[in-house]
Amino acid sequence: MTPSLEAYVMLSAALFVIGFLGVLVRKNTLVIYMCLELMLVAATLALVAFSRFNGTEDGDVFVFFILTVAAAEVAVGLAIIVALFRVRQTVQVDQLDSLKH
Amino acid sequence: MTPLQTALAVLLAPLASAVLIALFLRTKGTLASFVSVAAATLIAAGGLWLAFGGARFNASLEWFRIGSFSIELGIKFDDLAALMLSIVGVVGLCVHVFSLGYMHDDTAKARFFGGLSIFMFSMIGIVMADNLFMMFIFWELVGFSSYFLINHWYHKQSAADASKKAFIVNRVGDVGFVLGIILCYWRNGTVNLNELGASHDLVYSRIIPLLLFCGAVGKSAQLPLQVWLPDAMEGPTPVSALIHAATMVAAGIYMLCRIEVLMVPPAAMVIAWVGALTAFYSALCAVTQRDIKKVLAYSTLSQLGYMVAAFGLGSVGASMFHLTTHAFFKALLFLGSGSVIIGCHHEQDIFRMGGLRSRMPVTFWTFTVAVAAISGLPFLAGFFSKDAILVLAYGNNKAVFAVLALTAILTAFYMLRLWKIVFLGKARSDSAGHAHESGISITAPLVLLAVLSAVGGYTVIYHGAFDAVFSHIPEAEGSTHWVVLLTSLVGVGAGTSLAFYSTDGNDALESRHPSVFGFLCTLKASFDGAYDYYVEKVQQRLAMALNFIDLVVLSGVIVRGLAGAVEMFGFGVRALHTGRINHYVYWFLGGVVILWAFAAGVL
Amino acid sequence: MEHFAFTCLSVFSLACAIGVVLSKNAINGAMCLLLCLAGIAGLFVQLHAYLLAFVLVLVYAGAVVALFLFIVMLLDMQGGRAWKFRGFNAVAGMIAAVLLVTGLNLLAVRGRLGAGPPLGHSAGSSLKLYSYQLFTTYLLPVQVMGFLLLISMLGVIVLSRRVTPKEDDK
Repeated sequence: MTPSLEAYVMLSAALFVIGFLGVLVRKNTLVIYMCLELMLVAATLALVAFSRFNGTEDGDVFVFFILTVAAAEVAVGLAIIVALFRVRQTVQVDQLDSLKH
Repeated sequence: MTPLQTALAVLLAPLASAVLIALFLRTKGTLASFVSVAAATLIAAGGLWLAFGGARFNASLEWFRIGSFSIELGIKFDDLAALMLSIVGVVGLCVHVFSLGYMHDDTAKARFFGGLSIFMFSMIGIVMADNLFMMFIFWELVGFSSYFLINHWYHKQSAADASKKAFIVNRVGDVGFVLGIILCYWRNGTVNLNELGASHDLVYSRIIPLLLFCGAVGKSAQLPLQVWLPDAMEGPTPVSALIHAATMVAAGIYMLCRIEVLMVPPAAMVIAWVGALTAFYSALCAVTQRDIKKVLAYSTLSQLGYMVAAFGLGSVGASMFHLTTHAFFKALLFLGSGSVIIGCHHEQDIFRMGGLRSRMPVTFWTFTVAVAAISGLPFLAGFFSKDAILVLAYGNNKAVFAVLALTAILTAFYMLRLWKIVFLGKARSDSAGHAHESGISITAPLVLLAVLSAVGGYTVIYHGAFDAVFSHIPEAEGSTHWVVLLTSLVGVGAGTSLAFYSTDGNDALESRHPSVFGFLCTLKASFDGAYDYYVEKVQQRLAMALNFIDLVVLSGVIVRGLAGAVEMFGFGVRALHTGRINHYVYWFLGGVVILWAFAAGVL
Repeated sequence: MEHFAFTCLSVFSLACAIGVVLSKNAINGAMCLLLCLAGIAGLFVQLHAYLLAFVLVLVYAGAVVALFLFIVMLLDMQGGRAWKFRGFNAVAGMIAAVLLVTGLNLLAVRGRLGAGPPLGHSAGSSLKLYSYQLFTTYLLPVQVMGFLLLISMLGVIVLSRRVTPKEDDK
């Protein structure tokens, strides 16, 4: 007896929420980024669950792409953070506010 | 030339003259004066030809139209218009010729003659107008010409003030006039004089004629708007002669005669009383004046009152008859006074003149004719017209008759006073002692007008050209009785005056009865004082209140306030740009919540 | 049995996720992320998506998190600064948490997904079917992914160049 679809989706939602909370609350840019990845993973879980319960493989394939995109995104994002660190000497978000009015 | 073409030429010639002077002849005074005189000659010739040639016609041209409302420009040339045009033409020509001599040494001659031409254009426009809108347009133009000409010596503060006063007081009357026109259009559907005359279902209200009369009150200087005419004597004497004696102020009377179809008895009663009271009041004021032109100005006011009263008592004929004769002898009086002023080297105080009888004979004799005419000496023009009015008054309203009869006595009184002090006795100042007659351009018009003042009362000379107007002049039964009455009135006034005033340098009334003199002076100054008080206390405060509202409420609160509110809003929004990612993510979350609310149908 | 496995794995994942959010040290957070990914991989296995579980561990846990660790160690040498749980942040955080939990509840109460037991055979367990889909229906996205990777590689190279020319001996 597999767990119902609602269980998987709720789990995915919970993980998403936790990740989002992390993005809201944390001040370290890198930790924020990690929470972002957490949100992505939660989305992939939901997709796989749906594809399992519908009997198609579309969800799985989409997860493939999400993984690719996430990898590329991490690479570029971390490069940006490193470049920012070189200029600003900090990765704390509350000190990176030069767009302030 | 068809009559219509002649009429258009008469109308447009002065306009062309004015434009020519304004554009090309600003510095060439002499040439400008000749151009203007040529235009005046054309007007006189054309007007007389049209009037005595029997051409009577109507013509109209639609000027513009908005939906069902249209304004036409048209000519209504009936007997009344012909009469007025003749008067304007003849008197205008005399004044133009006189100005050639009078303004000979003036530096701004071109401007003066340009102004005269504009005035002639506007006046002829009023004369020929066939609907009230067109008349109003030219009415305003005449007011402007008056302002322009009074202000001829604009570096004199008194002249500038006087011109402003004239224009503004005229405007006050014009408010009523415009309201009357609008009401007339609204109630009757038309302001065309022909249509009003022919219509069978006119709305007879008391308001419309009274409002239209307001225009005449302003333009013809009736009580309570008479205050501008004495001050208007700041302009050159030809201007006073043409505009403020013979023609412009008569435009009010002319307009009243035009709208006769709208009159109702209650309105006519009001008009008659206003005229009578004006006549009496200004006669009283004239008794105390020292300036020769001011005496004549008050005399004009008085005679205008006669005309208005005559109209109010119901006779267009009597009113227009008196207007005709008054134009002749009043213009003559003014031009004569101009000759005296020039002869005495610009001296205007009558107590510094004297003994001019022997030194300026032509002026003396023509002036005498005019004085006799205005006083109502029998067989001169003024006698017949005044007689007609008094008969009319006696038949309709005894109270008005009494007032007008008293005024006749006063008229003789102050005119004889003026005549005696200016011309008789010995010269009371150096300039009077060296006075001499001026050239032909000054004396010729005087002679012409003197002739007209003498014979203008015999309507036969008009060859029946103006029968539609003059056939309604009241004739008296038992006319010998009337002749005697009128003569005795004149005699009373004249004799008292001659006996009372001496030819030494003092005003006898002032020196012997100072209280009476003082009372009369207060009477004169009362209106000016009242208006001063009103303007200073009421209007200025209202203006300051409005200024306050404009500055504080409109500019401050509304305009800058709105700008400030937007600025505050901008400040508020600016504070949201913290530059910190955390905050932006919160906004993101907020947006997602709102979107979800929309999607879930909660919002 | 499956329920038990599901419960264990899900609790484990949730705990590690909370650990990522609440950990003071960035390196601790990265480790927790790693463990969370492991849990998720287990869940994938339970859903018969074996390849994906494998790829997840390989790519995500093996490469991405490793990269994170590298960068954290490169940049964050001052040690994790404890973020203080007070001020505007706390209040906003509480509000956000409440909102999110409410959302979850609504989902749980109202979101009847109406799905029955899993249909048919799980598609992901067959690698052949999976790759067939990749190369026919989803060929375009695959190509686009290729481009994306190329561009991100170029981007990383550009971004990691030194901007100021004060390094003259490198």
